[in-house]
Amino acid sequence: MRAVIAEDSVLLREGVARVLGDAGFEVAGACETAEDLLLKVRSYSPDIAIVDIRLPPTHNDEGLRAALEIRASHPSVGVLVLSQYVEIGLAMKLLADSAEGAGYLLKDRISDVKEFIGAVRRVADGGSAIDPIIVSTLLSKRRRDDPLDALTPREREVLELMAEGRSNQGIADKLVITLRAVEKYVSSIFGKLGLPSSGSESRRVLAVLVYLRS
Amino acid sequence: MATSAIALETRPHVLARPNPFALGAIAPAGCAVAAFSLLLALTNDAIGAELGEPLVIALLADWITLSYVLGGIVVWWCRPDSRFGPLMIVAGFLTFLATLSWSSNDALFTLGQALDVVAPVIFLHVFLAFPSGRLSGQFERLLVLISYGTAIGLELIRMAFGDFGPHNLLELAPNARATELLMQVQLVAVSAFCLCGVGVLAARRRRSGPPLRRSQALLIDAFAFALIMIALLFLTAAFSAPWVAQVRWVTFVTLGLAPLALVIGLVGARLARSSVGDLVVELREDSTPAVLRDALARALRDPSMTLAYWLPEFGSWADLDGRPTELPSNDSRRATTLIDRDGVHVAALLHDPALADEPELLDAVTAAAGIAIENGRLHVELNARLEELKGSRARIVDAGQQERKRLERNLHDGAQQRLIALSLELSLLEEQLDGERDATARLGLARREIAASLEELREVARGIHPAVVSGHGLEVALEQLVARASVPVRLTVEVDERLPEPLDVAAYYLVSESLANVGKYAHASSATVEVRRSQGELVVEIVDDGIGGADTDRGSGLRGLADRVETLGGRLRVWSPVGGGTRVKAEIPCVP
Repeated sequence: MRAVIAEDSVLLREGVARVLGDAGFEVAGACETAEDLLLKVRSYSPDIAIVDIRLPPTHNDEGLRAALEIRASHPSVGVLVLSQYVEIGLAMKLLADSAEGAGYLLKDRISDVKEFIGAVRRVADGGSAIDPIIVSTLLSKRRRDDPLDALTPREREVLELMAEGRSNQGIADKLVITLRAVEKYVSSIFGKLGLPSSGSESRRVLAVLVYLRS
Repeated sequence: MATSAIALETRPHVLARPNPFALGAIAPAGCAVAAFSLLLALTNDAIGAELGEPLVIALLADWITLSYVLGGIVVWWCRPDSRFGPLMIVAGFLTFLATLSWSSNDALFTLGQALDVVAPVIFLHVFLAFPSGRLSGQFERLLVLISYGTAIGLELIRMAFGDFGPHNLLELAPNARATELLMQVQLVAVSAFCLCGVGVLAARRRRSGPPLRRSQALLIDAFAFALIMIALLFLTAAFSAPWVAQVRWVTFVTLGLAPLALVIGLVGARLARSSVGDLVVELREDSTPAVLRDALARALRDPSMTLAYWLPEFGSWADLDGRPTELPSNDSRRATTLIDRDGVHVAALLHDPALADEPELLDAVTAAAGIAIENGRLHVELNARLEELKGSRARIVDAGQQERKRLERNLHDGAQQRLIALSLELSLLEEQLDGERDATARLGLARREIAASLEELREVARGIHPAVVSGHGLEVALEQLVARASVPVRLTVEVDERLPEPLDVAAYYLVSESLANVGKYAHASSATVEVRRSQGELVVEIVDDGIGGADTDRGSGLRGLADRVETLGGRLRVWSPVGGGTRVKAEIPCVP
C-alpha cells in the first residue's frame, strides 16, 4: 500500500513515516505544504493521504481544504486528517455526503501504533475512522426525550465503535464477542433509533453520525 | 482675550481714528459747497436748456454731494483703517466741482467742465474699491486708470475744439463736427468701462458664495445698479435720446442711494452688537461645545460659522468632538479669527470673510463668550483624551490578541508536537520490549501521563486562543461548544460571511463563558444560542430557562466579557430576574 504525508512538524512527519514503513506501507512522499501534497497525490496516486489540518502558510484551514480537494478530485484516494483539536463541525465538513475513504483523528492517536495503523488501513481500503472523542461528544450531547436512553450499555458500546468506522469484524474483535452477536446488536440499535438498516458498513457511519449530530 | 483676523481683505496697517474736529469740519464744508452749487444753478440761465429744470438738477447734485460727504464721514469714523471713507468724501466734493460748469466765471466754468465726466468715473472707482478703499486687482486698477484718462483727456481735447460757449478758456480751434464725434466716443467708452465694473462686481459676488451676508449683497447690488444707470445716461446723452433728462434724474437719485445703504449696514452691525447681550445670557447656563457654537453663530449672524479649539497637549487643533482638524488656509470662502489668551491660542472661529468688516462685533462676541470658549476647550480636550484612550485600549487589546495567538501557535508547534513524538517513541520502545511485563506496564503508565498532559495542554491552548475560530470560523467552533454543553442547546447562526477575527473570538468566548455559567449556576433544562448579523451589528444572545438571579459581578467571567465587547465598541447586557432565566445579549458593530 502506498501513502503520502503532509505534516509541517519534522518530528511527527518522520515519526508517522517510520510507523507506516514498519507496518509495510510504501511512503511515496512526505511534505510540509498543501500544495506539495496535491502534487504528490497527482503524481503517485497513493492509497491514502495523511494530512495535518494546520499547514503553512497561515496555519488556518489549508490542510482541510487540501483534504476536501483530494476527496473531490481523487475519490479513490483515502484521506486521513490529523489535528490537534477535533471538532464535530469539521468532521461533518470532511465527510460531507460520504464517510467512505475518510478519517479524522486527534494527532495523539499516532502514538497508539496498532490502533493508528488499523485506522490508516481502514481508510486506505475505503472505510472510515472517526476519532472516539467526536463520537463520545456526540453520544453525550443532551437531548430532550433521548432515544439513546433506550440502549443497553452493550448496545451503546457497539454504537460507539460503529460510529468510529469499525467493521462488524473489528467490533467483534474489540469487544471479544462473536460476529453473529455484533450483527444482532447492530440490528437492535437501528431498530431502537428508528434508522433504516443499511447493508454497507461504511455507509452506516455517516447515517449514525448525522443521527447523533441532529 | 484678544482676537486677530486673517480675513479675505488683508488690512495693511491700522490707522488711528480720525480727529473728530477735522471730521466735524468736513460736514459744514460739504453743506457750504452744496449751497454754493444750488446758488449757481439758480443764477445761471444756461443750465435750463442743457440739463432740464435747474432747481431739480441742482438739488439732485447736492443730494449726491451731501450723501457721499456725510456718508464718507460716518464710514471713516467707523472704519478708520479703511480708505473707503476718505474716498467717498473725495467723490462728494468732486461732484460739487463738476457743478462749477454752471458758473459764468470763465476760470470756474473751465475747471467744472473739465471735470464733468470725471465725476461719474470716480463712482466706478469708489464702488470697485469697496470695502478697503483700495483697488485689489490688476484689472480693476487698469480699468479705473483708463476710465480717468478717457474722461479727462478727451474732455480737454473736446474743449480745445470749442462748442462750450463763451466761458471756455481752453478753446483753440472751433470744430463742431469733431466735438460731436469726440463726445460720442468719450461717452460710449466710459459707459463700456462702467459695464466692465458691473461685471467685476458680479464676479466678486459669485466668488464669495452663499454665506455672503445679506446686507453686503444688497450693497453690491446697489453699486452695480448705479453703474448701469451711469452707462445708460451716457449712452442716451451720446446719441441725444429724447428722455435724457429723466434718465439723468434717476441716475443721480440712484448714485446717492449707495452711501445710504452703506450707512444703514454699518448701523445694523452696531445694533448686532446688542445681540452680544443675548449671547451672555444664553451662555450663563452650563453649555456644551455644540450649544456654544450655535449661540456664537447666532450672535455673529453667520450660520456657517464653526469653532476649532487649540489643544496644547496634543499640539493640534480639534473639532467639537475632539478629533484632530486643520485650519483652512488659502480658502477665500472661510476666514479665521484666532482667539488668544495670554498670547496662547485658545480657539479659532472659522467664519464668513464678510465678518472681517465688523471687527467690533467679532471682538465683542469673542470677549463675551470668553469663559464659555475656555470651558468648551476643556470639554473638547476631554473628548480628545477619550478618543485617544479608546484608540490605545483597542491597540492594547489587539496586541494582547496577537500575543495570545503567538503563544497558542508556539504551544501547538512546540510542546504538543514533542509530547506526541515522545509518546510515539515510547510506544515503539514498548513493542521492542514485548514480553518484559514490568517495563511495558511502566511505559504504558508514562504514555497515559503524556496523554493526560496533552489533554490539559489542549485546554490551556484553547483558553489562550481558540485556533479553530481563526481557522474555520465561528459556526464550526460553536457547534462543538454546544455539543459539550450540560443542557440541550438550540444553536442558530445567521452570519453570511466571515467576520473580523476579533469579533469571532469575542463571540466565541461569550458563548463559551455563558454556557459554562448555565452549567454551573442556572439549573436550566435548556438554552438557546443565537448569533446573527443585524444592521451592521453582530448580535450574540444566550438565553436559558433556569432560575435567573445571576449576579453580574460574580467572578470575573462576565466582567471580562463585557470589557472585551466594549473594547470592540459594542455593549453587553444581562437580564436575570429571579425565577425568570438569564439572558445575555451582546451587540458589537461589525465595522469599528
